[in-house]
Amino acid sequence: MSITSATPGASRARLVYALFLALPVLLFAVFYLLPVAETILTSFQKWNGLSAHRTWVGLRNYTALFGQERFLHSLINNIKWLIFYLLAPPSLGLALALLLNREIRGETIFKVIFFLPYAIPPVAVASMWRWLYEPSHGLITVVMQSLGLGALAQNWLGNPAIVTYAIMGAALWWTAGFSFIVFSAGLRNLPSECIEAARLDGGNAWQIFWRVTFPLLWPSTIIVLGLSAVDAMRIFDIVWAMTNGGPAYASDVLATQMYDVAFGRLNMGQASAIAVTLLVMAAVFILPYITYMARHVERTEA
Amino acid sequence: MLKMTRRTALLLAASIITLSSAASAQESSSEVWTYWGSGAEKQAIESVVALDNQKHPDTEVTHRVIPGNTLEMRRQLQTALLGGTPPTAYQSAMGYELKTFVDADQLASIDSVWKQVKGDEIFPRGLQRVVKIDGKPYAIPLNMGVISNVFYRKDVFDKLGLQPPKTIAEFDAVCDKLAAAGIAPLGNASGPFWSMYNFYAPLLSVLGPDGYFKMAQGEVSFTSPEIRKAFELYRDTFVKHYSKNWSGKTWAQGGDDLVNKDVGMYMMGDWVSAYMKERGLQPGKDYDFFPAPGIGKATLIQVDVIATPKESKTSDNFLLTAASTEAQASFNKYKGSIAANLKTDPSIYDYVGQKEVKQLQASEAENVVLPNLFFLLPTNLGSEMGNQLERFASDPSDATLDTVLKTLEALRLQDKEDDAFVNW
Repeated sequence: MSITSATPGASRARLVYALFLALPVLLFAVFYLLPVAETILTSFQKWNGLSAHRTWVGLRNYTALFGQERFLHSLINNIKWLIFYLLAPPSLGLALALLLNREIRGETIFKVIFFLPYAIPPVAVASMWRWLYEPSHGLITVVMQSLGLGALAQNWLGNPAIVTYAIMGAALWWTAGFSFIVFSAGLRNLPSECIEAARLDGGNAWQIFWRVTFPLLWPSTIIVLGLSAVDAMRIFDIVWAMTNGGPAYASDVLATQMYDVAFGRLNMGQASAIAVTLLVMAAVFILPYITYMARHVERTEA
Repeated sequence: MLKMTRRTALLLAASIITLSSAASAQESSSEVWTYWGSGAEKQAIESVVALDNQKHPDTEVTHRVIPGNTLEMRRQLQTALLGGTPPTAYQSAMGYELKTFVDADQLASIDSVWKQVKGDEIFPRGLQRVVKIDGKPYAIPLNMGVISNVFYRKDVFDKLGLQPPKTIAEFDAVCDKLAAAGIAPLGNASGPFWSMYNFYAPLLSVLGPDGYFKMAQGEVSFTSPEIRKAFELYRDTFVKHYSKNWSGKTWAQGGDDLVNKDVGMYMMGDWVSAYMKERGLQPGKDYDFFPAPGIGKATLIQVDVIATPKESKTSDNFLLTAASTEAQASFNKYKGSIAANLKTDPSIYDYVGQKEVKQLQASEAENVVLPNLFFLLPTNLGSEMGNQLERFASDPSDATLDTVLKTLEALRLQDKEDDAFVNW
């Protein structure tokens, strides 16, 4: 009796759930699944983005890409950016957070100063650094000269061998603030008794950091690393705004090449093939990582 | 990844909302899209829009800025054309850009406007060739920028007793004297355009104007002895004299080098004159220009045109206005460029503009006002050539030259196979 009377209520509830879910599912399908499917389809076609006419070319876009020096170079640059994003901004952010985690005077001001660059739009960051990196009279070169290090000053954005690293310098300044804020919040929430206990047991600062603080910060670390990896995959704006991927493709990443091929050369098919490669690459690199991290967090929290 | 695509989806949703509002806005007024988004450029186009609204109050248009450049314009046009909400008219490049839109059946021929404004008489002949596809005109040229002149510091030249060089040998000698005085002879800047624009002078001195158009039509092999000779000449006249670290500078930073007298000369489009004026230099006194050595009587131009999508309704009136000497005078006075309509009163120009008009008239008399090759080649080849020239200018070794020429030739053959070249 109770079961039969529960059934209409349960199905009504289910209907309500379904109704609530319908909108997000619809939005997801229209704005996510459909464009992805469309992009995959276009990657097998030749299309200039304007014409009503599309030609089916099979795998030609992919075979052309994988034999292309420029594409392989962009791919390697993306991997460099991934390594950079996983190591540099999180390390600097953590170091700054630890520095400020000592109840020092003017903490709020420093917090604002460290976080502020992250609030600047990437295009503005790029044009600022474009001036800092000016090779003859830019601030960096001038400061190096005044310190007697003029011989080490480089053609920062003009030398194909170092241009990507120079852009990474700007990106580090720009993004470290985000890691810093997350780690700062994490440090705030650490149980002070654990650190206190370690100190009483005679642990030095180094040991306390590696054995106690850092493991306890793991949830913050996961957030920072996860988002950094995503940032590395979609790296576009700062590179495009600083160098357009130049000189002569030296600082190209997959996303800048995709934009250039799509709208600079009106080759939508090949651009879509780059997009699909980027999607697969992100899946291969990031999804297992996110899954693992998510499980780890659950375990740590449990 | 999920995060990225969700954000992309949000962006998409936002742009669709913007687009639909643009579409509804269009029902009441028609738009002219340009990427002249700030300063004098914006004033320039808005003065044309105002003039048009005064002349044709029944077909009122409004100006809409598409922030960015050609690439962003293409991106937005694509969406608008797919969505069936094209602007009344838009800023376009000449040549291949028009051809792409014509082939996609997106552009309207402007035959009647062209006849009415006597297009065949008012625009330079070299320019007429590249706004026509298969003999039919598709756009009204608004302004020209000369890209084949070398700007130099007049005060530096005077001090060292140098004369503007007329031949390649004289140019080389001037460079040597500047270097001996401790001034880097020639500036340059990074990006796919500037090295390529410098290269046109050596190219023309080898191929001549007819060969130049043949090259634009895909008839000259990149592995031919002539092209190799042009590249070598470029290396020996220009690349050899470029300032150190040029490849790390924007074109404006290259202009600063000339302002600061770090370099003696800078071959750049004439917009650098406006930049130097802004920095407080006086044309004719602090700086001047001469035609690039080896270029002969030719003058190379960069052009902006106004094109009209097929679906737009009120475009003819705006085009008629845009072609008029009145609009061209007003536009180019603000922008500091040269009116494409040669009947425009030259009193609107400053020292540089007036000198360029004389130069253009002399070239026009010989029919050698030549449009920028970048916009005559199929889009992929033009872009690749710019990048390969930048690479060669950074590393002018024989090995690089071999790779550069091989890469470009492969692309030319592919474009040939795709029947992509245009007989301008």
